[in-house]
Amino acid sequence: MSRHYSEDDLTLYFYGEGRRRADIESHLESCAQCAALYRDIAGTLAAIGAPEGPARGDQYGLEVFQRIRHRLPEHSRFGWFAGFSRVSGFAWGAVAAALILIAFVAGQRWRSAPANVENVASRVSLEPSNTGAKRILLTSVADHLDRSERVLTDIMNTSNPGDISTEQGWAEDLVETSRLYRQDAIAAGEPSVAAVLDELERNLLEIVHSPARISNDDLEQIRRRIDAAALLFKVRVLGDELRRRNPTS
Amino acid sequence: MAAEGAAVLARARQGDEDAFRALVEQHSRSVFRLAYRMTGNEQDAEDIVQESFLRAYKQLGRFEARANFGTWIYRITANCCVDLMRSRQSRRDQSHGESLDAAEELPPAGVPGPERLAASAEIERRVQTALGELSPLERAAFTLRHYEGRSIDEISSVLGLGTSAAKHSVFRAVKKLRTALAPLRRVQS
Repeated sequence: MSRHYSEDDLTLYFYGEGRRRADIESHLESCAQCAALYRDIAGTLAAIGAPEGPARGDQYGLEVFQRIRHRLPEHSRFGWFAGFSRVSGFAWGAVAAALILIAFVAGQRWRSAPANVENVASRVSLEPSNTGAKRILLTSVADHLDRSERVLTDIMNTSNPGDISTEQGWAEDLVETSRLYRQDAIAAGEPSVAAVLDELERNLLEIVHSPARISNDDLEQIRRRIDAAALLFKVRVLGDELRRRNPTS
Repeated sequence: MAAEGAAVLARARQGDEDAFRALVEQHSRSVFRLAYRMTGNEQDAEDIVQESFLRAYKQLGRFEARANFGTWIYRITANCCVDLMRSRQSRRDQSHGESLDAAEELPPAGVPGPERLAASAEIERRVQTALGELSPLERAAFTLRHYEGRSIDEISSVLGLGTSAAKHSVFRAVKKLRTALAPLRRVQS
């Protein structure tokens, strides 16, 4: 064959695609010009190795789900209600009894909660340029981090792994607040604050979604994740830093 | 196993959040890997992972029950990447970044030691810059062909392009990469 192969033909050949592969192969043995072009194409492409992506652990899927869970559209909840409509009258009675019990326990716990989780962000209009509002936000976040630190410390140190319902209650209160502060921190141009709050929120969610009567293994898993993320350390350091930035708090 | 997967998928399609969580847990890592390869940026890849699963959740009702969820989420992810790169490109066009024109002197091939290591880091940096110069479709097509080992037909299906468009996206990407990396190859040879 007298004609030369194009760069496109040789690119397909490099990738093992295209027709006339046998023809190209024998042509490359006899045509120095095409062989040089092919060497150049192959050399360039061989230099482009697959990027080593950062590793993601076994729990990554769960983390992703926890991050998107609150953003899932409403129709999931319709599905949930549709399921409810199929339960029997007896089950409805059991559900009603459970709700009464939950309301009673929640009322008891609310009175004995160690800290009043107040969402300052919801009361204050926060513009990034508004330094007064930003100071309030950072002060509130510092307080929020203190409360979160107490919950995390409890989880890390609890000597009775059988029942973490109290810590779960506190964590549940903190999750929503954390989310609001995170959004406000982003709006206020504080990405590092938002990043710690995001990590905190994920770990709090894991505590909330664990069974109240938790097994030793599950508790250990939560502790390992908190440890692995150095979360307690980050929460303390960020809390201190926010106070340093805003000494009146 | 396949029947179990189909059952989970069917429950997810009915709005069962736990079933959807199982799908997210199963596919997150491969979705992240693809997103990272396409964008070359960890934070962008994280954003794409979340956006892809949210899109998938919203479209579950339209998903063919007999189809493979892995293939479907792969396609959604690839297209999320293209969308993100398009939005980034329009911003980058306003403040054009680094030029690849100037070839820097590299130590000759075979020289061991820190110079050589620096050279390979330089090659890697150049490759990343060159990939960043590709159009979103070119980069997506190239990633699928070069890193993911997808055939032209598969690329065409994933990106919703005709076979010819998919093929030419790969060709254009290879041409641009060869041009961008030519100074390095000349110095090396």
